[in-house]
Amino acid sequence: MDDAVITAAALAARDGDRAAAARFVELTQQQVWRLLAHLADRGSAADLAQETYERAFGALRRYRAESPARTWLLAIARHVAADHLRRRARRPVAPAPVADADEPVGVVRSGDVAEGIALRLAVDALTADRREAFVLTQLLGLGYAEAAEVLGCPVGTIRSRVARARADLVDALEQPSAGEAATREP
Amino acid sequence: MNPDRPRRVVPLAGNRRGLPDDLTGMGLLDCAACREELSAELDGEGDPALRYAVAAHLTGCPACTHWREQAAVVTRLTRTGPAEAGPDLVARVLPAAPRPSRRRAAARLALAAVGVVQILLGVAALVGLIGHGDGSAMLGGADMAHMGHETAAWNLALGAAFLAGAWWTRHLAGLLPVLGVFIVALAVLSGLDLAAGRVEPDRVASHGVLLVGFVLAVAVARGRARHDPGPAPRAVRTPDDAVVVDTPPAETGRPVPPRRNGLGPVARERRRGREVA
Repeated sequence: MDDAVITAAALAARDGDRAAAARFVELTQQQVWRLLAHLADRGSAADLAQETYERAFGALRRYRAESPARTWLLAIARHVAADHLRRRARRPVAPAPVADADEPVGVVRSGDVAEGIALRLAVDALTADRREAFVLTQLLGLGYAEAAEVLGCPVGTIRSRVARARADLVDALEQPSAGEAATREP
Repeated sequence: MNPDRPRRVVPLAGNRRGLPDDLTGMGLLDCAACREELSAELDGEGDPALRYAVAAHLTGCPACTHWREQAAVVTRLTRTGPAEAGPDLVARVLPAAPRPSRRRAAARLALAAVGVVQILLGVAALVGLIGHGDGSAMLGGADMAHMGHETAAWNLALGAAFLAGAWWTRHLAGLLPVLGVFIVALAVLSGLDLAAGRVEPDRVASHGVLLVGFVLAVAVARGRARHDPGPAPRAVRTPDDAVVVDTPPAETGRPVPPRRNGLGPVARERRRGREVA
């Protein structure tokens, strides 16, 4: 994905170009959705992505292109996810929504699918700090410097968080069976 | 591997806990530091200065060697896994996108119109004045005809300034001090002259065009500032959107250290390629 194209679209959108705004959303929405699906949950990701873009469009007139628009947008998405988790923590506990992609516990799948599910659950089980760093660098493909910009932390912090996330995943997936890892996290 | 890169002498204890101060002796990495480096290497963000230390550690540490294999498997699994797709949100979020400002466009148009009127006034005054000097009443080394020429030239210039400002709004802010001083001085002097009967009210009324032009110029320039404030050193946290870009990390308060750009471009290219694939 081309950061320059995304940033140019954001600047044009800021000046009222609706087509550029649509392009900006098209180019970034998958990454925004994936980040939110991992930082919050899949069931809310679409709503949170909508909230992210609404906030971004509201803040766009103060955007000065000093960092790439994609990094800027992902930082907003992260704040949206954090606000969502705070809101949810204040409310009485409701049953977690079951997204379509969720596998019923106990269903035995084989090969890559099972591995993929086990991996996803292991990623969801990471601590928030490590998950953020891991999702940004591994699932969204950001460089360490870009991830550091999104999270507002030093690059060295990204480095160590990614390494610890990897270590956690190695531990989780080294269990004798993927099913055991899967049942640990409901 | 970048041979030109100066060997770093570990002032980074905060970021690299467990890393010994002396890297020149090989094999002094502990397991945590070694695994952090192995992890960074998997992402193309490894530190070339640590390469030999890592290799030395791995020869003596089967656990880390095993960990590297496992980490590579996890990494491959992560990257080859199916990318989950979210819904298309364009139609849902587009209503919130910024709209072009109609008021500003109208202000620019009006400013251009004022510019044209002002130029016409200047030209008319110029045409009406040429050749009418009689050399009688001299003032400051010029007769009244020449004073009239100067005034007409000024009116012409101000008209051109309005017109140009309407087109190149970027330069409008720079004109405001000149226009402002001119208009304030003119207003005060016109008031005095009017009181003393030295000027006809009609003549003073024609200065109203200048005033209208100045007000429009201020409006257009301010709209522009809102749309494009130009370069600024930092984006700031504001209460309503809570966007923070490039501020020092809240938890430490320390400034963000310089980026480690040693392998940046190559690693980034590799990463881009992977992302597209």
